Amino acid sequence: MKKKIISVLLSGMMAVGMMAGCGNAEKDNTQTGQDQTTGDEAGSGDQGTTQASSDDAIANLIAATTDPVELTLWCSETEGYQTVMAELVEEFKAQYPDVEFNITIGAESEANCKDDVLADVESAGDLFVFPDDQLLDLVNAGALQSVEATYTYDPTATNTPATVEAASIDGKLYAYPMTASNGYFLFYNKNYLSEEDVQSWDSLLAAAQAQGKTVGMEVSGAWFMYGFFAGAGLEMRLGDDGKNICNWNAEDTKFTGASVAQAITDICKNPAMKNCVNEDAQAFALNGEMIADVNGTWATNAFVEAYGDGYAAAKLPTFTVDGEQVQMGSFAGYKFLGVNAYSKNPGWAMLLAEFLTNEESQTKIALATGEGPSNIVAASSKEIAEAPALAALSEQAEFADLQRVGDNYWAPAATLGQSLVEGNYSDVQKLLDDAVAGITQ
Amino acid sequence: MKKERESFLRNFIEAFTKGDIFTKLSILIFGTGYVARGQYVKAVILQIVQVLFFVFTFGFSLNYMSKLGTLGTIQREEIFDPKTLSKVVNDYDNSLMILLCGVIGIIFIFLYILLSLSNVKACYELQCLKKDGKHINTFSEDLKDLFNHKFHITLLTLPSIGILLIKVIPILFMICIAFTNYDGDHQPPTYLFTWVGLENFKTLFTSTSTVTFGYAFVRILLWTLIWAFFATFSTFYGGVLLAKFINDKKTKFKKLWRSLFVITIAIPQFVTLLLVGKMFSDYGIINSICNKIGLVGFLQDIGLVSKGLSFIPFLSKPGWANVMVLLINLWVGIPFQMLSATGILMNIPEDQLESAKIDGATERQIFRKITMPYVLFITGPSLVTAFIANINNFNVIYLLTNDYVTTNMSYANSNAKEVDLLITWLFTLTNDYSNYKMACVIGICVFVISASLTLLTFTRMIAGNREEEFQ
Repeated sequence: MKKKIISVLLSGMMAVGMMAGCGNAEKDNTQTGQDQTTGDEAGSGDQGTTQASSDDAIANLIAATTDPVELTLWCSETEGYQTVMAELVEEFKAQYPDVEFNITIGAESEANCKDDVLADVESAGDLFVFPDDQLLDLVNAGALQSVEATYTYDPTATNTPATVEAASIDGKLYAYPMTASNGYFLFYNKNYLSEEDVQSWDSLLAAAQAQGKTVGMEVSGAWFMYGFFAGAGLEMRLGDDGKNICNWNAEDTKFTGASVAQAITDICKNPAMKNCVNEDAQAFALNGEMIADVNGTWATNAFVEAYGDGYAAAKLPTFTVDGEQVQMGSFAGYKFLGVNAYSKNPGWAMLLAEFLTNEESQTKIALATGEGPSNIVAASSKEIAEAPALAALSEQAEFADLQRVGDNYWAPAATLGQSLVEGNYSDVQKLLDDAVAGITQ
Repeated sequence: MKKERESFLRNFIEAFTKGDIFTKLSILIFGTGYVARGQYVKAVILQIVQVLFFVFTFGFSLNYMSKLGTLGTIQREEIFDPKTLSKVVNDYDNSLMILLCGVIGIIFIFLYILLSLSNVKACYELQCLKKDGKHINTFSEDLKDLFNHKFHITLLTLPSIGILLIKVIPILFMICIAFTNYDGDHQPPTYLFTWVGLENFKTLFTSTSTVTFGYAFVRILLWTLIWAFFATFSTFYGGVLLAKFINDKKTKFKKLWRSLFVITIAIPQFVTLLLVGKMFSDYGIINSICNKIGLVGFLQDIGLVSKGLSFIPFLSKPGWANVMVLLINLWVGIPFQMLSATGILMNIPEDQLESAKIDGATERQIFRKITMPYVLFITGPSLVTAFIANINNFNVIYLLTNDYVTTNMSYANSNAKEVDLLITWLFTLTNDYSNYKMACVIGICVFVISASLTLLTFTRMIAGNREEEFQ
């Protein structure tokens, strides 16, 4: 009998062992259940956000604040972000010496921000940094406090129009623009490739092949693959009814979907072309094998290290469709600072959000993280504008589209991308039809 | 089971009809029956329980239960006052809280009814005792009883509460969600969700060109069962064989070998799987070695790898990935089975082995006819557990095939992939696509499969006298 108990215990342990580690990573989250209603003090006065009235509003808020203000700020776990945010938060506290703040900075990877906020929006951070592709889902779930009034500066005037549009839905601003460099472009090693080489995929791949090197891009990634179809003038966006609109299977456009698909497959058939994700590309660049890669600013440091004095960046190359050269499009990417609609201290959260995204703070964040600011003045400052990656991004900007995509896009598009990369489909039109049916469902 | 329930009810009716006024009254006021027989402490305790129940129900859960029918009607609205930087939020309904607290409230009412019925019975028993002039326990005697011949009640109380809290309530809650439209477009607390009947179950068995849940579900279920079967038995036989080799008289440094394999358990599975996953990725170290020695070219020549690929798609193509996860699972699974098998092998009755040898049985015959049946009998229940655990083996599949992209549009349209188990599919649906309603439907399927398999095999395995046979 004893033996049986032991064996049952052991197998039980095994089952537990298998479950262990599935849980969510614990988050730094020290929100207290402090209820603060400052609504009773509502004074009467003029509408609008003139200097005087916003000063009044802040004075009202300070007067109404008696308890320490508890705020949690979620931002990227990278050292650059954590240090610069800690500095900025201290500066913010110094601005309001009469108020006691208790601001916690949590480490939250931006890619998971939406999932973790929506998992329990009531206990998520009061402020969080998130990429623009999550805006729609966050708004749909009602997690974002819309920016109905501003007090220290006007984000719609100081940031580039494209960023403001990206942060708005139906003309309503839902988050404070922070960076405008979350798109993709081409990193390359100028010791191997000339500026002419990187103009088109044909010359780029030919040059790489001739030197026995490779070029990388995550073609099978739905986010990257969009650039080919968008460049050829095909459409994919979110319609008003919440469903995607997509004509990638069109046969009556200047370039048909089938020709674009063929072009993608042709590029991927080149032995110098490697369809690989960010980490693999960085590894290949570091071991000297990969001399160009379509990637974003998050990989800047890796490519600077890999290419050394050969480090350069450019807009995306053109590609050949039906014998014509077509400029690749892309998704423009931004990062926003959002205020949680369920924050216990919405007023202070909004003031902190304004402070963290004003011109001065954006410059500091840009210098600390290498990401390009969305503030027009900050973005044009010399040391920021001249960074090769940011220069390449602004070159690509005119071909980049705002990312407004429904959830149904990702899985079918990734599957389409994978099929095109492998090139072992028999009927390309059917493949596209199926993909479009899935995307627009 | 049915008999028991009937007799419970009959006992109650008998107690209620034959009981005196105090016994009858105790259905409304719990303490009366005990006060009448002098059990004051017990009366106070039960009275407190009853009061607590009413406070809980009328002060808290009734509010939620009354909205269960609609799951809330008032959507959250807020008004921001720019002059004071503050906002006013209306008193909104949270569908999730209504459902959760409603379910808990109903469970408590159910428990209350059970308690009041058995309370009447207990009071009637006391009444009979008093009538017959027998001894009525004092409170301290009752307490002592709980540690003597009613000890099973004391022992089972805590586990029962635990099961109610961490199993029954979540399962009921999950079952309820499967009948609602809780998804990305209806997310509380800001938005409401409501009942949709069997709509989601219909979706699960629908196969059109865009709604492909039916297509994906059947295939994923099949793969889940195949996976669970092979993962369980490959590690089990592997473990037994390994233990046998290590236990063999001719093997030297037994402790060394055993410790080496135990080390693989000591390293967290998480780490092992992520590392192995990286090693076998499309551009991982294994692939670069295979490329250098020309294995990739050879496999392409014999047609196992398509010409378009410059690597072996260990974890990125159907078929390849399915086999690889089974193989990699051997690495993390066998040492566990080896440990349990070692203990069992050491305890095989020596006399049986000796007599077999004297009769001239070969090593193989002994293994097949004596060792294996013995091991199988002892580890039967644990094998069932392992099978169920493998149906829900999230770690191995998820960590190894995180980067897997399917090329089959029918899978993609329901956010599934060929290597998904039901549990990883469920995870993707909730985590990446906030599709809680479909995840709950799939969750119910997993539950039904696991529960019925467990019940079926356990009842057959430990049925009747078989348990005693080997002791």
